[in-house]
Amino acid sequence: MKQQTTRQKSATTRIPFDMPFLPLAMEFIDKGARGFGYNDRETGGLVLAMEELFSFYVRQAALGSALEIELEDQGYRLALTICFRTANPDMRAFNLTWNVNPDSEESLDMLGPMIAARSVSSLRLDFGSDEQVALHMTRDRDYPPAGAVALPPSGASGTLRLSEPSADDLRHFAAMAVASGAPFIPPFLLRPGMAADMLDAGHLNAILVTSGDWIVGGLLWRPLTDTCLELYGPYLFSDDPDDRMLTLLLDEATGRISHSNCRGFLRRQGPLAGHERFFDFLGDLELSGISGATANNTYYYRQLKEESGGVVYCGGALSTFLGNQYDRLCLPRQVRETVVDHSRLRDASVLAVELEYARSLAIIRPLCAGKDMAANLTAHLNLLRGEGIDNFLVEINTGCFEDTAFAAALEETGFVPRLLIPDAGRGDLVIYDHSDGTLPS
Amino acid sequence: MNLDILIPDYVRSFQVYTPSRPDHLLMQEYGTPLLHRLNNNENPLGPPPAAASVIAAFSPARAAIYPSGDSYDLCAALGERFGISPDRFLVGNGSCEVISSVIKAFCQPGDNIITADKTFAVYEWVAGFSGIEARLVPLLDYAFDPQGMLDRIDRKTKILFVCNPNNPTGSCWTNQVLIDFLEKAGEERIVVVDEAYREYVEDPGFPDTIALMDRFPNLVVFRTFSKMYALAGLRCGYLAGTAEVVDMVRRTSVAYSVNVQAQQAALAALSDDAGHIAATRALVKEGKMFLRGVCNNLGLETVGGEGNFLMIKTPINDMLMYRRLMKRGMMVRTMTGFRFPGWIRVSLREMAVMESFAGALEDEIRSIRK
Ligand SMILES: Cc1ncc(COP(=O)(O)O)c(C=O)c1O
Repeated sequence: MKQQTTRQKSATTRIPFDMPFLPLAMEFIDKGARGFGYNDRETGGLVLAMEELFSFYVRQAALGSALEIELEDQGYRLALTICFRTANPDMRAFNLTWNVNPDSEESLDMLGPMIAARSVSSLRLDFGSDEQVALHMTRDRDYPPAGAVALPPSGASGTLRLSEPSADDLRHFAAMAVASGAPFIPPFLLRPGMAADMLDAGHLNAILVTSGDWIVGGLLWRPLTDTCLELYGPYLFSDDPDDRMLTLLLDEATGRISHSNCRGFLRRQGPLAGHERFFDFLGDLELSGISGATANNTYYYRQLKEESGGVVYCGGALSTFLGNQYDRLCLPRQVRETVVDHSRLRDASVLAVELEYARSLAIIRPLCAGKDMAANLTAHLNLLRGEGIDNFLVEINTGCFEDTAFAAALEETGFVPRLLIPDAGRGDLVIYDHSDGTLPS
Repeated sequence: MNLDILIPDYVRSFQVYTPSRPDHLLMQEYGTPLLHRLNNNENPLGPPPAAASVIAAFSPARAAIYPSGDSYDLCAALGERFGISPDRFLVGNGSCEVISSVIKAFCQPGDNIITADKTFAVYEWVAGFSGIEARLVPLLDYAFDPQGMLDRIDRKTKILFVCNPNNPTGSCWTNQVLIDFLEKAGEERIVVVDEAYREYVEDPGFPDTIALMDRFPNLVVFRTFSKMYALAGLRCGYLAGTAEVVDMVRRTSVAYSVNVQAQQAALAALSDDAGHIAATRALVKEGKMFLRGVCNNLGLETVGGEGNFLMIKTPINDMLMYRRLMKRGMMVRTMTGFRFPGWIRVSLREMAVMESFAGALEDEIRSIRK
């Protein structure tokens, strides 16, 4: 796998986490982003996010604590990480819903993290060790959409060759993928310049097939989690008798990825005929689109390492779901039924929310379990629906007690386990979606 | 402690090999009351009788005493067997250890080695975690591609590794192909021929590598007691080369790495191998013919040649096939890690096991096609 290149540049600083220093933090981002060559819009989005997050979380910071800021230019995007130490043992404050009354417009305006999420490309909150809180966000560069390019003439045939694309090759390939009208084109392919810059940054890998002078197909992949990659494609621009291109691309990619640290890879686009030769079928997930249409994602998976054992402690519907999935996929796991002892939990649970406005999607991840898990999930649903979000997914790691402890609360609040992605997190990842439009009372 | 500063990049980015877990755990996890290992190309007949007796008679008191630091008696016996001086052998803790010694002896960061993309991975691994570039040449028709390898040679090329017979495809270079290759490769670099499975080969056209060293002093050969001699658990392998080459490689290997029981058993195995080799070859031949027939009937493509293994193309991805077979107590090797996704490699064993395996495979294929 390609190493990240030296193009990466970063600026870091450490300032008191105290209101009077807010302008300094904003200036740092502003001057830093411009220094890295980002435009007004791109810079403005991050500055606004900094302002909102600083003002919101400063109340939770330990007295006299510092805010560490790292701004990194990754070529196609700026990545901003801010870290601080908390003073407030009241974990509720790290929920999006903290102090928000969904019925009040005013109160929604106070919702710093929500505003921040809207002005950046991604935002994620993590708890580190030692009461550290880290907020990771990125702001993509603005790229023009794909221009018109020619596709290979039909019936063109020649010797198929695999090739490793240069950034320019990939830029051209992305435009071809758009021109081909293929469904399931990820945002970074819709903006060919972005795909090219991601390749340069080592954040995207690709192989192409050529025939004569034409690029006739390609396959891309990039990390999804620390242990799992996501595959995009194969995109094919000419007839593919006997699946020759498809096989060539998938076999080559599998061989290459098998020599990386990844334990597996995922493909979640439309159905792929003859997928059995390459993938395990995991299931389907339906998301309702902004326009009202629904998008169906078929999840396929390929394990890359033979060794994959484990024990999962959980109860209820989750244990039944896991048992069935492990059996169906022949995965060597033992599910041990346990009941969570609520009296031993913290009072407050914490959920992290990743928002994708473009797909009207909220991905909710437990950060810590607590006695209020069901109420907390309901509060999040209410708030996010108020924000116009239609799709809710919850991701839990089977190897993490703080996650599996949510099983009963998820069931209670209308979430249903839909998919198991083996080895994709701490243990396996289970994805829940919300069963219907009615809110739990 | 800042490990980032301490660790070279090529070590940090190296993907560690995770060995399979012990049988008792695998059986528990896959819920199978029995487990047949058809994944490591072991010999089910066990060591030759003389070696088996030596192992059985091993005295605990001997365990307190260091072994010979340079496998003295074993080298002498090898010298006698092949008609060359004992100092032309270097014995290691499995031939994997001598792979490491050779790379350490000849390469420094910036150098490269050349081998195939779809072969035994240890050459590539050792190079990788030593900061040496491994240039991987695609197989041609499932075999090492001599011209493809020669084309990748440059000033920094120190070693060319040829696995002959190749694991996992079983392809072989004949004497003539090897001679042509050695002539073209030139003397400025080492050519290693890994003959881990050479004792399985009956073809008289198979190269006599030790004899070729007179003409090509840059030729080095690896052999092992793990496969035909069934001493995999004791870890004993060796290399042979010219006295000058072996003298250099010896500098990069640790004395005393080969344990006393391994040395004794290997010595005994050499003294009593004729019947054992014949019986093993017969068993492999029967197993290969049988399994090929089973796969033919099932419409499954196979690839195999020399060696005690056969590759089978599976209609589902090899990882899932592996897990399905594991649930039936059959452990095969997935080929994804060998860059052959969609294939499994099956070690050939005694007929009773081959028949159980065939039964499990037939059931699985049938249920997949249903
Ligand atoms: C081609 C090849 N070389 C070397 C070895 C390693 O053998 P040893 O047990 O001697 O380290 C193997 C074992 O699988 C092999 O297949």
